[in-house]
Amino acid sequence: MMKRLALTNFSLRFPWVVLLVVVAMVVGLGSQFPKVAFDNDPENMLAEDEAVRVFHHKVKETFSLYDFVIVGIVNERHPQGIFNAATLQRIDTLTHQLLSLQAGPDGVPQVVDAAGVATPLDLVPRSGFARALNVAFQHDPHHLFDDEGGSAIIGRELIAPSVVDNIKQAEFGSLKLEYLMEHVPQTDAEALVVRDDAMGNPLYKGTLVAEDGKAICIYIPIKEKTFSYNVANVVRELTKGWGTEDEVHITGLPVAEDTFGVEMLVQMATSAPLAGVAIFLLLLLFFRRVSLIIAPMLVALVSVVCTMGLLIGLGFDVHIMSSMIAIFLMPIAVADAVHILSEFFDAYREFGDKKKTLQHVVGHLFRPMLYTSLTTIAGFASLATTPIPPVRVFGLHVAFGVALAWLLTMTFVPAFITLFISNKSLARLCAAPGDADAAPQGWLDRFLRALGGLTYRRARLIIGIALAVIAFSVVGVSRIQVNDNPVKWFTTRHPIRVADRVLNDHFGGTYTAYLTLEADPNATLTCRDMAEAIRTRARARYDRVLPQPLQAFVAEVDRLEEKLCNTETCSPTDCFTKLTEAAREIDGRALAAWERLADEINYLEPEGLTHAALLAAVAKLEGLESASRERFLEDMTAYRELTGEALMDEALALCDHYLALSFEEFVGQMTTELTAPAFKRPIVLNYLQELQRHIDGIAVVGKTSSAIDALKKAAYELRYQASPVELSDEEAARLQARNDAFFAIPDEAAAVGQVFIQLEGMKKRDALFHLVTKNYQEANIWVQLTSGDNRDMQAVVEQVERYMAAHPPPLQLDVGWAGLTYLNVVWQDKMVRGMFSSLVSSFVVVLVMMMVLFRSPLFGLLAMAPLSLTILFIYGLIGWMGKDYDMPVAVLSSLTLGLSVDFAIHFLERAREEFKLAGSWQKSCGPMFSEPAKAISRNAITISIGFTPLLIAPLLPYRTVGFFLATIMAVSWMATLLVLPALLTLLQKWVFRDVAGDNSPQEITKNAKKEGA
Amino acid sequence: MSMRTLLLAGCLVACLAVSSVAEELSADAIVAKANLASYYAGKDGTAKVRMELSDGRTREFAILRRNADAGLDQRFYVYFTAPADVRKMAYLVHKKPGGNDDRWLFLPALNLVKRIAPGDKRTSFVGSDFLYEDVSGRSLAEDTHELVETTDSQYVIKNTPKAPATVEFASYTVWIDKVSFLPRKAEYFDKRGTLYRRVAATKVETVDGHPTVMESTVEDLIAGSKTVNRFTKVAYDIGLKDRLFTERFLRRPPREVTR
Repeated sequence: MMKRLALTNFSLRFPWVVLLVVVAMVVGLGSQFPKVAFDNDPENMLAEDEAVRVFHHKVKETFSLYDFVIVGIVNERHPQGIFNAATLQRIDTLTHQLLSLQAGPDGVPQVVDAAGVATPLDLVPRSGFARALNVAFQHDPHHLFDDEGGSAIIGRELIAPSVVDNIKQAEFGSLKLEYLMEHVPQTDAEALVVRDDAMGNPLYKGTLVAEDGKAICIYIPIKEKTFSYNVANVVRELTKGWGTEDEVHITGLPVAEDTFGVEMLVQMATSAPLAGVAIFLLLLLFFRRVSLIIAPMLVALVSVVCTMGLLIGLGFDVHIMSSMIAIFLMPIAVADAVHILSEFFDAYREFGDKKKTLQHVVGHLFRPMLYTSLTTIAGFASLATTPIPPVRVFGLHVAFGVALAWLLTMTFVPAFITLFISNKSLARLCAAPGDADAAPQGWLDRFLRALGGLTYRRARLIIGIALAVIAFSVVGVSRIQVNDNPVKWFTTRHPIRVADRVLNDHFGGTYTAYLTLEADPNATLTCRDMAEAIRTRARARYDRVLPQPLQAFVAEVDRLEEKLCNTETCSPTDCFTKLTEAAREIDGRALAAWERLADEINYLEPEGLTHAALLAAVAKLEGLESASRERFLEDMTAYRELTGEALMDEALALCDHYLALSFEEFVGQMTTELTAPAFKRPIVLNYLQELQRHIDGIAVVGKTSSAIDALKKAAYELRYQASPVELSDEEAARLQARNDAFFAIPDEAAAVGQVFIQLEGMKKRDALFHLVTKNYQEANIWVQLTSGDNRDMQAVVEQVERYMAAHPPPLQLDVGWAGLTYLNVVWQDKMVRGMFSSLVSSFVVVLVMMMVLFRSPLFGLLAMAPLSLTILFIYGLIGWMGKDYDMPVAVLSSLTLGLSVDFAIHFLERAREEFKLAGSWQKSCGPMFSEPAKAISRNAITISIGFTPLLIAPLLPYRTVGFFLATIMAVSWMATLLVLPALLTLLQKWVFRDVAGDNSPQEITKNAKKEGA
Repeated sequence: MSMRTLLLAGCLVACLAVSSVAEELSADAIVAKANLASYYAGKDGTAKVRMELSDGRTREFAILRRNADAGLDQRFYVYFTAPADVRKMAYLVHKKPGGNDDRWLFLPALNLVKRIAPGDKRTSFVGSDFLYEDVSGRSLAEDTHELVETTDSQYVIKNTPKAPATVEFASYTVWIDKVSFLPRKAEYFDKRGTLYRRVAATKVETVDGHPTVMESTVEDLIAGSKTVNRFTKVAYDIGLKDRLFTERFLRRPPREVTR
């Protein structure tokens, strides 16, 4: 008995000491606040060394990928859409302004125009409130430069019409390599040329330009994600004078995440205090005296300040999760104090002395309050078992805050009442029960009494309804959609959501994921595979024309295979060198002769060359193999009439005809073909193409890009044949079809290599290497999704898995996903699993605690009934509402557990006491539904109403928390005051069997009274 | 005066003349001489080049060059021998310092000769850090030249583009050897005045009487990449015919590159 009052008695004796300790703690931990650092990056939901995060960064490095701020410019009004001279001029200007971003002499960012004139950008917000917040949260709107003073924008990687490559046909069948918008169009007609060029390039259509021709996107690569909010502001500043025809939208996951971070701070600065005010007002309504309710408010404030101070002092960043600590902690911290005040109020009338009253109340409430706090702590501490670092930090700190709040309730509240509330004012407060506060409480009293009667008379009905609710909830839970999307954390009218909607409507999608395919460097063809491939190809090529040399060649391949391929150290280079020598042997003097002939003819002066002169030149050649010479002379008789270039062409064509049969040349080609890196081999590229087509077919995928798109476009433009002026329709159609066929992967590795090397040397160097590595062993498919929902990303991942399982690649490919959209899927998955297992483990812990507390397994189970019902109902409701199970919802499970068990503990503890006093449950019902039920009701109302300010928050996770807190309170209130008594009524024979023997409640009361006297 | 004194005096006069000429050379004259020394040695020339990119990629090719009989026009023929997939690929350039260059390429695997329309010369040469303009030379008329320093062995010339919007640099500085007039180093600065690119002649030898760059290096200081060109089998005045620089020899390479 003394033990449970030890803390309180100490506080009553030395209230100043307690007060000083509390002040010292607040000052000490509060002084940590200036050290605060914020972290808005959902990526940090995963540990730094988490495999998928490491891989994500490796992919970004391998392919030089960056996070983008996406600026979409939409023009719906101009008849030519976005492709009109004026808009393109603006886009070009914006592009060059962004490229020129630099720090001015005073550190203020500035942009420089072509003439070298610098324009400073003042990004400091106009409103004083926003400016004050920036100061408080150390947000510098001019932070746009890295430590070396370089721009946050990676200029050379910017994607905009003025700075991306384009290959196009130019005059005289030549090929033009320039930027897509090398010069800004001066007329609308010229603007259409830009449109057609862009639409003709698969890399740009749907990515850079909308397929409907109404929008253009600029992708601004940034050095760090944390620059994105400020970069978005730069764009807003630069485009503010654009008028209404061109709408500017800014989106991309980094902007959404960074904006969320910034707005989260605003939210913290507004909604937590607002919630505090609402709670204060409610308490005022219940207790009528500011002096009384200051104590619980201080408990809440001190716990929040100390917890946040501890978090900051320990060096943790304030993350999206920890920003909610205040909001979670406040209702819990207030709850204990409300119980004390509620009882204190009623008991004071009996004792008329605050010290005695406090001893009575604390003695009475010590056990339930300790246990409610312990269960809440268990609920939150269990979050430490999740694999998500910010959730662990959140859980442990809330647990700390709850413990502190309990301690404060035990010590600080009594000390505060002793020091600051005079007996006189209390006497006045409680003297007249029929005064002003009687009306609402009288109403509540009457309602609760009626409720109590109902639970006894209609126990079966209540249980029946509860069972129906359970059934309803179970079905709801089974409908739960696990899903999240940081963009959806904003309200539908938020500019980020609007931009997201508009741009994903026009484009292939603003959500990025990367599918990377890496060829195992050791998985090249074996020597024997190569030998087999060479034999097959050789037979196909030489079977008819050179059957005998073919036999010799194949025999040579066989011999080399036997000799070289058995050893482990077989080197393809060696094999090919040896085979080349053998092939030269087989080609023999005949081919050498044709080679010499061709070379000789090539050097002849075509001007005025006659048949006779050509033959004379050939006749001069010494040591030429005679058979070849005779064959040549014989074949040349057909061209006796020709002269000059035409004659030379025919003579060389003749040589080429024989030279084409060279085995040496054939071995050379096979060497290229068989030793080419994976992503230069047509068979692998064709697989990639099919895979890409499959991904394109997935509904949520708007667009994919790969090295193949670049390859096909370049191969097409290189091989394209301009139509001569005069062409019949039929011929034109044939030519067109021929040209169309060129839009394909070339069918030899050498051809692929030669086209790729053209792309390597484009104006925007290395643009190709975002899609394939420089050694052509790894490829990257850039997947754009129109939705950032994890569920949609997950579906894409699964579809690709299924496809690749059903269609195995031609060689071993290691497949990996990266990109922010994918990272979100991974941490979401961890979150759901982590939260579920922590919920289960804390449920078990709390159950055990309840059995220990009540020294009865049955009471333990009963105590779990309301919270089980509440959790089930809440998640059932989420399922039925179609609300996604996202981050805030997942975290709510631990809060539910912690809060709703409290009511049951208080209720059951009191029920046992009342039973002992009254001797029967029926008689206990009356007292149960007066003061204990009132305390529970007050708490429920305080918490649910207290968090209504969250419902008007601009960030949806806060709204979710606000809504569900209210719902949790309402449901667990009903479960405690309806279902629990109904269960007690039905089970009273068993429940109260052991209770009668224990007379401790009477003792408590007696002791308390004795001490007070 | 003895014969000996006379010789000595003559020599002195000559030396003085040389040094005074050197002192008086204008920036324009220096760059003009440097241009000739680095791109126009002999009537024609050839070399084999092994290009190594810092990411491990390599290219091997042979170059033929022939100066026009009069004026500064030149012709280049570039024939690739490695890696295997670009073997026999060839480029042909007709350089016209006053106007637009003509360019063709031959892709053997596609059996294709394609003409490349005049365009930006400051684009990568086959994916390396070298630009086309580094290979064939930048027209002197495109920049203004300023002699900023004369050291014991070098002239330091600052070059500022006349049309800054057409190039990525704001200026570049070249260090030119006083004796050979070969540029030894060039540094490119962006609009913020930051050094971002460096080209250097890292090895110079005299071949057939012409000081010749045998190894050159270019560094992209932003991307952190580097390309080294090593030259072998350099020869001058080998009697290249103008006809080698035609489409016909794209498809069937001249002996001068295949040997």
